[in-house]
Amino acid sequence: MIVFDDVSVTYRGGVHALRNVSLTIEDGELLVIVGLSGAGKSTLLRALNGLVPATSGSITVDGVEVVGASPRTMREVRSRIGMIFQTFNLVNRTTVMNNVLMGRLAKVPAWRSTLGVWSAEDREAAFQAMERVGIVDKAYVRASNLSGGQQQRVGIARALAQEPKIMLADEPVAALDPVTTHQVMGDLQRINRELGITTLINLHFLDLARHYGRRLIGLRGGELVYDGDISEVDDDTFRDIYGRAITPDDLLDESADA
Amino acid sequence: MSDTAVPATARPKKPRPQLTTYLLVIVLAAFTVFAARQIDLEWSSFIDMWTNPLWGRFWPVPWDWVLNRHNVFDALIETFQIAIISTVIGCTLALPIGFAMSKLTSPNSPTFWVSRTVMSIIRAVPDLFWGKLLVTAIGIGAFAGAWALTIFSLAVMVKLFSETVDAADPLPLEAARAAGGRHTPAVRTAVLPEVFPAYVAYALYVFELNIRASLVLGLVGAGGIGRIVETQRSTFNFDRLLGILIIMFVIIVIIEQISVAIRKRLV
Repeated sequence: MIVFDDVSVTYRGGVHALRNVSLTIEDGELLVIVGLSGAGKSTLLRALNGLVPATSGSITVDGVEVVGASPRTMREVRSRIGMIFQTFNLVNRTTVMNNVLMGRLAKVPAWRSTLGVWSAEDREAAFQAMERVGIVDKAYVRASNLSGGQQQRVGIARALAQEPKIMLADEPVAALDPVTTHQVMGDLQRINRELGITTLINLHFLDLARHYGRRLIGLRGGELVYDGDISEVDDDTFRDIYGRAITPDDLLDESADA
Repeated sequence: MSDTAVPATARPKKPRPQLTTYLLVIVLAAFTVFAARQIDLEWSSFIDMWTNPLWGRFWPVPWDWVLNRHNVFDALIETFQIAIISTVIGCTLALPIGFAMSKLTSPNSPTFWVSRTVMSIIRAVPDLFWGKLLVTAIGIGAFAGAWALTIFSLAVMVKLFSETVDAADPLPLEAARAAGGRHTPAVRTAVLPEVFPAYVAYALYVFELNIRASLVLGLVGAGGIGRIVETQRSTFNFDRLLGILIIMFVIIVIIEQISVAIRKRLV
């Protein structure tokens, strides 16, 4: 279980990225977070795994406090949280295998990962993660030689190699075309269902949110303005979150047709 | 055409070069002239020096002496040994120190500042001076030369390498941290693959520099081919000197070609 209790994040320079956000997420949920650029979606995810430190409040992951945690505790919590990035964040010059093995960093002794001497179990875990997203045949291809959709799958496999309980996806499809977008979103949905991994996805497109989400979180100016079942969401709700009426630009399939 | 013409809007003026740019050029020119006068630079000396009868003594090259292995090649092998040892040790040490010297990969700010400061002090001392210093400290010979060039390799390498690390993509490192990786393994897996080709290219370049440097290091008694150059020069055997220089020239060109070929494949 993840609990945000009155969490605020203020960046240096005084930008309030999150204001007094409280939120409880049960195990196995699939949560979609929507909001305009700068609404605090990315900060919310990064506060959870400590990439961005929360300024005040409390965030617990299965009862472990993240805010102000020691480096050791932080690493332990992070090892249970996989993360997927908008820009994939792969090491382009090395193989898919080496990228996926990065997900094993918290599980192996430092000397092994530093010398690159990975055990057979780690390689097997990496292969299984690749299998989940159908890229096993690409294991020894350089990451830079893959298409965008394949690269994001390497990102997902890297996160899965952690054998995580929680998955954070920060605008995972913003850099992809509509077809690969649906494939990657489908992967995330399937992984949530099959493995029961609690999944938090930041999205920009409203129709994608509706299609793949169960519970919707709306952020506006760093504040939580909506938290509820996605089936109850109507156009008025989106107007609340976005502060304006919906335009075709907010819909993936509409804007793709345009 | 007139139908499709875009309505004209106010165009911004092309910015004029700043006055300070002109001033700077003038000051630099004036200072150069002033400096030339101060050291009594005589333009005719550039022509006069070619009429020096000494030049005649560079020719012909006594190839039988030059190619006799006891005269030159033994020392050349020593040069290679010095260059290889110092490149390998210097570049190996430069890997962790170079990472410590980059803001992106330094484990903490004390490590960052200490490594930067120590390395700039080392770099401030030129290789020839290190040679002289080490010959004084541990005696004449190849050992002192190897030490001097190790220090020199390290100083050059950390500078080039840490700047490459500075420019590396920080995003994979974020991913490694998000996965719960410790600092060193995270840098190793997320940054090293990105900068390793450049690292190897720099190491080859440093090896080239070391071969060249051995020519002058011999002048201060630090072994290698420079030792032969120094004895022949001080006994006025300029013809032999030219022979050695030709051989060095050929070797350096070959090494450069090989390293260019390898570097091309890497990047």
